[in-house]
Amino acid sequence: MLSFIARRLSVAIPTLLILVVLSFVLMYSAPGGPFNSERPLPPQVLANIEAKYGLDQPFWKQIVNYVWSVTTQFDFGPSFQYKDRTVNDVIAQGFPVTLTYGFWSFVVAVVVGVSLGIAAAIKQNSWLDYLAVGISVGAQVLPNFVMAPLLTLGLTLGWFWMTGAALLPGGGWEGGVIVAACAEKDNFCFGLPWGGAWRFDYLIMPVIALSTSYMASIARITRSSMLEVLNTNFIRTAKAKGLPMGRVIRKHALKPTMLPVLSYLGPAFVGMITGSVIIDVFFSTGGIGQFFVNSAFNRDYSVIMGITILVGALTMFFNLVVDILYAWIDPKIRY
Amino acid sequence: MYPNPSTVEALEDAALLAEVQGRSLWADARTRFFRNKAAVVSLVVLALIALFALFGQFLTQYERDTVDFALMGANAHKGAPSFETGHYFGTDNSGRDLFARVVQGTGISLMVGIVGAMVAVIVGTLYGAVAGYFGGRIDNIMMRIVDVLMSIPFMFVLILMLVIFGRSIFMLFLGIGLISWLDMARIARGQTLTIKNKEFVEVAHATGVHPMKIILRHIVPNLLGIVIVYATLLVPSMIIFESFISFLGLGVQEPNTSLGALISEGAGSMQYGTLWQLIFPLIFFVLTIFSFFFVGDGLRDALDPKDR
Repeated sequence: MLSFIARRLSVAIPTLLILVVLSFVLMYSAPGGPFNSERPLPPQVLANIEAKYGLDQPFWKQIVNYVWSVTTQFDFGPSFQYKDRTVNDVIAQGFPVTLTYGFWSFVVAVVVGVSLGIAAAIKQNSWLDYLAVGISVGAQVLPNFVMAPLLTLGLTLGWFWMTGAALLPGGGWEGGVIVAACAEKDNFCFGLPWGGAWRFDYLIMPVIALSTSYMASIARITRSSMLEVLNTNFIRTAKAKGLPMGRVIRKHALKPTMLPVLSYLGPAFVGMITGSVIIDVFFSTGGIGQFFVNSAFNRDYSVIMGITILVGALTMFFNLVVDILYAWIDPKIRY
Repeated sequence: MYPNPSTVEALEDAALLAEVQGRSLWADARTRFFRNKAAVVSLVVLALIALFALFGQFLTQYERDTVDFALMGANAHKGAPSFETGHYFGTDNSGRDLFARVVQGTGISLMVGIVGAMVAVIVGTLYGAVAGYFGGRIDNIMMRIVDVLMSIPFMFVLILMLVIFGRSIFMLFLGIGLISWLDMARIARGQTLTIKNKEFVEVAHATGVHPMKIILRHIVPNLLGIVIVYATLLVPSMIIFESFISFLGLGVQEPNTSLGALISEGAGSMQYGTLWQLIFPLIFFVLTIFSFFFVGDGLRDALDPKDR
């Protein structure tokens, strides 16, 4: 197992280095610097600023410095746009937000998708099956940037036009799921007996928008995988020896069913972390996606690079975890 | 002595019958495809959408970038869709005709999808076939490269590229071309591995045919079925990919537009009640994606040897 992990890491780490170097080379080859504006700065001032950010040094020195500080100190350098912040500050501010949305979307997609798929497979050709298949076909054409406006149109604007008050807020960030107390007239907020409250209202639409298409894919994969497993001999044996159906599913069918689902989780994770850019921008959450797009418009290279590398590292870490899980669950894989 | 006329007729009928019975693989697939109603309907819808994108401009008197200053800022009550004004789909915030813009947006989205699929077919198929045919160390290195490229979050890298080299359609095509072939390469390699052990490849090899010629003449034609299926299914995901970037405002730039940019614009102004700005692009987007999925599914049922 350890050698398997080591072998995976020996691919992941060079890949990450390639990503760092690639994005640095791309940035370096950009025409115009971050401080070129319509009203050119006096050359002496420009030289001073470039010296401050280390942009006057030769290419190899810059790249070595950058790679060194990223890999050893996780320091992505100063932001060119926000003069008072470093890229690390930007990430520290935006990342928890994005992570909250991403985490809940992932949970919803996996839990709802897997249950829907299993239910559809067990009750094949029932109305539940047709509903699940219908949802998973329909949701293919509803990527997050389609879901987000439609949900807002229905639950915020439409509700407001009909009743005079929106059911759900159209965006914003209220500091997490656990808050001190519910606001007045706040839907989907539940007081907790030990003080504080669970507040979901501003999370619901982003999470649905982000998770729908992945939920549908997971449901489809689970359904077909489950159907295949239910036709195998060991399930027939389990049924023949008189086990109740629930036990057959839980003890025997579930594990092999999850294998194809597990291998889909890697791409789903990439899709969700990419989709969070749309969610952050559309719902004005203040997550890293919003910083990313702002920086893209303002040519704030260091922030873009920092976020790209961070996402790349996360993706590779997640794929590693999925690979290890897969090897652990599937006895056929020898490592 | 001449055969009597009835025998000639019978022989002719027999010849005709033989012709009917001798069906090729592709003719077989064609009948299977046309038996699938959803796929055929989708194909018709796709054809209509393509016609709309190509010739829709002739149906309206407005150019897509003509700003009607009388409507600017008064879009919510004067710009609604109507046949009297000739703005069939209404106008957008700047008083431009939405019909003409949807025509262009659909066209660009279709083009993006088709370019992505073409790159995938040409680069991906050849790459996968070469890797699969030669095997061994070449295969190992080539597929490791694909693995590395696949584990990079490409949306972010593409946005980085768009920022650095300027936002243009060309850069968008380049970015889409860079990623679209990866999956295809894997699929083509997997198929090649099974094909290369067949007798006809062995025979070609034994008679001394050049490896590249074996790949092009014997392997690639046998990959075509599966390649076509995945190319069709790739088109909608490329369209979604492009719309994603355009939705953020980083893709196709004004005065040009794509469905993603139009949806974004419609979503941004829906609180003023100008819902037509959201709905018309959305209808075309959803219809296009749906049709491609159904046609792809139909082709898979018709061509995929696994399901026979």
